[in-house]
Amino acid sequence: MISLTINGIPIEVEPGTTLLEAANYLGIAIPTLCHHEGLSPYGACRLCLVEIGVRPRTRLVSSCSYPAEPGLRVRTGSERVLRARRMVIELLLATCPQSKVIQDLASAHGIRQQRFRQEHEDCILCGLCVRVCAEQMMAGAIGFRSRGQGRTIGTPFDKRSEVCRLCGACMYVCPACQLRCTFSEPDKAICGGCANIPAPCVSSGQHDDLMCYMNPCAACEIAKT
Amino acid sequence: MLSSIQELNELRSVLAKAAQPGQLRLVICAGTACQASGSSGVIRAIKQHIISRGLVGKVALRVTGCHGFCEMGPFILTEPQMAFYAQVKAEDVPRLVEALLAGKYVEELLYRDADSGEVYYRRDDIPFFKYQQRDILGLNQRIDPIRIHDYIAEGGYSALAQVLARQDPAWVVGEVKRSGLRGRGGGGFPTGQKWEMLARQPSDRGKFLVCNADEGDPGAYMDRSVLEGNPHSIIEGMAIGACGTGATEGIVYVRNEYPLAIKHLTIALQQARQMGLLGANILGARFAFDIQIVRGAGAFVCGEETALIRSIEGKMGEPRQRPPYPVHRGIDGRPTAINNVETWANIPLLFRRGAEAYAKTGTPNNSGTKIFSLVGKIKNTGLVEVPMGMTIRQIVYDIGGGPSGKAKIKAVQTGGPSGGCIPAAQFDLPIDYETLAAAGSIMGSGGMIVMDENTCMVDVARYFMNFLKDESCGKCFTCRKGTQRMFEILDDVSKGQGTITQLELLQELALVVKDSTMCGLGQTASNPVLSTLRYFAGEYRRHVEDKRCDAFVCKELMGPPCQSACPVDTEAWRYVALIEKGDYEAAYQVIREANPFPSVCARVCDRKCETRCSLAVSGGQAVSVRALKRFIADRVDPSTYRPARAPRAAKDARRVAVVGAGPAGISAAHYLSIRGHQVTLFEAAREPGGMLVSCIPAYRLPRDKVRQDIASLLNDHVRFEPGQRLGRDLTIDGLFEDGFAAIFLAIGADKSWRLDLEGENVRGVYSSMQFLKAFNLDGIELAKGNVGIIGGGNSAVDAARVAIRQKQVESVTLFYRRTCREMPAYAEEVEAAIEEGIHLETLVSPVKIRYIDAAIREGVRVEPFVQPIQIDTKNGHLAGIKCIRNRLAEMDPSGRRRPVAIPGSEFAVFLDTLIAAIGERPDSECLAGMGLEIDGSGRVRVDPRTLAASRPGVFAGGDLVTGPNTVVDAIAAGKQAAAVIGRFLEGKPLAAPSQQIAPSVYVPPRPVADEEAEEAEREECATLPAESRSKSFAEVELALTADQAAREARRCLRCDLRFTQPPGEQPAACPAHQESLA
Repeated sequence: MISLTINGIPIEVEPGTTLLEAANYLGIAIPTLCHHEGLSPYGACRLCLVEIGVRPRTRLVSSCSYPAEPGLRVRTGSERVLRARRMVIELLLATCPQSKVIQDLASAHGIRQQRFRQEHEDCILCGLCVRVCAEQMMAGAIGFRSRGQGRTIGTPFDKRSEVCRLCGACMYVCPACQLRCTFSEPDKAICGGCANIPAPCVSSGQHDDLMCYMNPCAACEIAKT
Repeated sequence: MLSSIQELNELRSVLAKAAQPGQLRLVICAGTACQASGSSGVIRAIKQHIISRGLVGKVALRVTGCHGFCEMGPFILTEPQMAFYAQVKAEDVPRLVEALLAGKYVEELLYRDADSGEVYYRRDDIPFFKYQQRDILGLNQRIDPIRIHDYIAEGGYSALAQVLARQDPAWVVGEVKRSGLRGRGGGGFPTGQKWEMLARQPSDRGKFLVCNADEGDPGAYMDRSVLEGNPHSIIEGMAIGACGTGATEGIVYVRNEYPLAIKHLTIALQQARQMGLLGANILGARFAFDIQIVRGAGAFVCGEETALIRSIEGKMGEPRQRPPYPVHRGIDGRPTAINNVETWANIPLLFRRGAEAYAKTGTPNNSGTKIFSLVGKIKNTGLVEVPMGMTIRQIVYDIGGGPSGKAKIKAVQTGGPSGGCIPAAQFDLPIDYETLAAAGSIMGSGGMIVMDENTCMVDVARYFMNFLKDESCGKCFTCRKGTQRMFEILDDVSKGQGTITQLELLQELALVVKDSTMCGLGQTASNPVLSTLRYFAGEYRRHVEDKRCDAFVCKELMGPPCQSACPVDTEAWRYVALIEKGDYEAAYQVIREANPFPSVCARVCDRKCETRCSLAVSGGQAVSVRALKRFIADRVDPSTYRPARAPRAAKDARRVAVVGAGPAGISAAHYLSIRGHQVTLFEAAREPGGMLVSCIPAYRLPRDKVRQDIASLLNDHVRFEPGQRLGRDLTIDGLFEDGFAAIFLAIGADKSWRLDLEGENVRGVYSSMQFLKAFNLDGIELAKGNVGIIGGGNSAVDAARVAIRQKQVESVTLFYRRTCREMPAYAEEVEAAIEEGIHLETLVSPVKIRYIDAAIREGVRVEPFVQPIQIDTKNGHLAGIKCIRNRLAEMDPSGRRRPVAIPGSEFAVFLDTLIAAIGERPDSECLAGMGLEIDGSGRVRVDPRTLAASRPGVFAGGDLVTGPNTVVDAIAAGKQAAAVIGRFLEGKPLAAPSQQIAPSVYVPPRPVADEEAEEAEREECATLPAESRSKSFAEVELALTADQAAREARRCLRCDLRFTQPPGEQPAACPAHQESLA
């Protein structure tokens, strides 16, 4: 067993336990986006950052992928963590404002506006769909392409994938509710449910950054078209 | 095949016997850079020459990898002379070989210092090489990289033999630890510690050693040079590493953009295997190790170790969070240690020298040498290898030779895109991992980009952020979006759309990105932004608040460069275009609208427009803007001018006093009168004009032209009051009591600095102002006999040229303490002003020192390197001076060489007249008593944005504020003062919001034929022949002819079209385009 302290509370965990799991065991909430139980840790969304080490030599790491180490001191809500987390949420909000998951996060962290140029991306590249497809559905129909700003998710060459079973798992896990397998053929999407609902938040151009609480969210579907 | 250490040693001694000491040899670099500059052709010529002349055996040739001085490529080094012939061409080869055979030198091909012209006979005396310690790179010149025998003869593989003989892995790791070697890839992790961790790992499936040759920083290429020039040192280093750590496989991860490095390494690996230095049973020992090459596709992020491992595994190159570290779980889950090329190259050296001896180089905790690639705005570019702990100043000035142009060096950027900028003020910092990190930069792999004042720091940050946003793998959100958003803000700032709140957001975001990203790329991606924000915040604010880019880099802020360079915002491109169309009156209208002194500025403007002209900046000859202005000013009758707004008496007119009727005062009065105010112009002299009539000689500026310009500006609304001197006849309080609502002070700077030598008050010694005023205002010729002039500034040259025209003068000599090159001639800023720290407009291209040339042609002797130390007198009259000779010593902080007196070099000069022209200052003592703040040089302190002095209602401008400066800057100050005073009288805020400079109209371009564009040469004004100038004050420079003017105007690149051209019009129609294609 490995003993460490989280926010000053001592805890013993099995080797291989991540800091996120240990914190959750103590009932300490850490927000996540790219993390999903049952999928391998990815560490890309940077929401689950925690501060480790002894001051002044501390650093921020993603708790979903960092394994518990003996004697480690972890802080999940320090000023440094919150400053970084708020900025991450602000960047998320600037990228993908129509996602209810992101809106809820912003609201929970008291973020009322973002200061960047507004974008309306339909994907935050958290990679949940890629991992669920490969690890749970054993298909591996979709993956990442290109890098940097040009990075996207889709099937090879945007062709209908032979291995895709249209199971919809990718859409199920998506925090920005975007369907993956039919990347290039949205008309063949198996779910078109929310596309038929009029979306008050996007029907008028002025309100497209409004926080809406519709479930499922229509805006993201309309943003696709 | 060598089956034992014994055999290797025998081979080495055989090779040593075969080598003839004193063998004549040409050594030539065939690295990538030298091949690009043509070394392949030279090598072919050498081979042909040696064979055809039957010199085989007498003269040998060695083709090597990079020596570092890439700017001078292709170069030839001769052995045993060690002479360095720079930029050699194939046709030079026979001469070089003949000279080598005869034991002589070909002087004109030897490397010479571009400034001093000094010739260096031995390579190691050249400053670029002299101050380096070339432990790693030094081997390159002695080795042909495709010949393993060369490497063995130089002691190669002896370190491996030594390690194999010991059979003690713990000792190997211990030696590396004792040496203090740290990773050269940038992080600086102790290599020994890394090896120790790898050695401790259990290895049932084997372990990996990786050489990271994924060198991706723009401008850095030291790893390539080592791999190309000495691949065996990497192989030997890795084999030693395998002995110490128990690794079984080695991988060199090299980017595919390095074909020559891959080729040489492949050959070297083959040779090493054939010789039994790789593979099973190396040198007969029970030790097996082999190395494979893996080629990377050139993604920057693949230099990060976890991404590199994934790339080697054949997956997408993106990092993962550590732990687990590669030493625990690396390639294919097996323990892996990754070191940079340069680190591996250090290993054989370390074992050959011994750890203790190795650790003596450099500083404690930062041992050994480091290779930097020194590039940018510096004289000597190339690879330099220096011991750790050397200061940046030594590298930049001693090795690099200082700035490449006239502009001062502002900063160096170290560590590539992930590094930061270190300002010139911190150049005394020693280079080591900790110091650089504390200064906000990183060592990185050793890129060092030198930046001068023509580099915009916002643009630098923007450039690197653009690179990083494309090279970020995109996996982790804060890196992908953070770099993209930072670029967005920087882009806005560089386009003049930034705000102060955006700058705050930029800083906040940069700090979070640094803190929260997964891998090294993201954690260091903020460095360019944070370091420039930290050291160059003023430049950011200038972009945001004033919408100006002082380095003339940010295109959107610059507008047409000629226009934005002009202090009075003249649309130079516009009148040039109108001249080309033959519409001279409209051209005059454009000139006059912006500048009330067209005839004056057509002659004595310092042509900031021409130094910034796109033609000049790109290495060509600027458009002769001033000559074109002169053409118009001479040809068009000023009465054709129809002002947009004429002087008038407004209903709410107020009275304004302007003190000093020089260009600044008259301009202010003129523009105030246009605003409807009543101006009284007070002047101490009898006549208006200030320096224009009292100082600038008539052969440069004919008096009728000055009077014509001034007369058109004085009218009922501007009353001229001569003979009124501030402090004698006028006081500020008195002017306010007389009912003036505002006062503008522009009394100039006409008091000469003294030499501070004894005897300066005797007859025959004058200040330049005294001398020039006496002649220009009163017609008195003070110079007689042999005339000496001290100084190198503009008024010194003016005085010299006036003196030589005076009747009783026999000879004129100009004494200047530095070289002719450093004379601030023509640019009307003088030496003393520079020393006071006044900001100088820097020149992009070297402007020809025509003004001094002209003086020399007229018979003025110029004596550089001379400084007066004593004035000799006889019967109360000057008899001569004693001078001392100077030499140029080390660089001072401004990047110029300091003149230092040579003891014992004193000499006497017999003179009848001595004119001290070492600079001027404002005659402003009286102002301090009137409640104004004056600085040590007599200048009035004002707010630069509003020209408001420390008393409300009092404004000051021109030379009184700046010290001696140009006419056009004075006019600009007058114009600015009129606007500010206008706002002051209307009760508005003094500072107006700044606007971007932009062309106001679209002037359609005229198509230019290819052949015409090709043969377009700059038209220069003709000058009077020197013989007819003697003793005459006729204007020396003549105007262009109409044909010349039209041809010259057609050369304009029309940079304005970028902003004005309606969409859909053919861009190819403009001459610029044709020329750039040609």
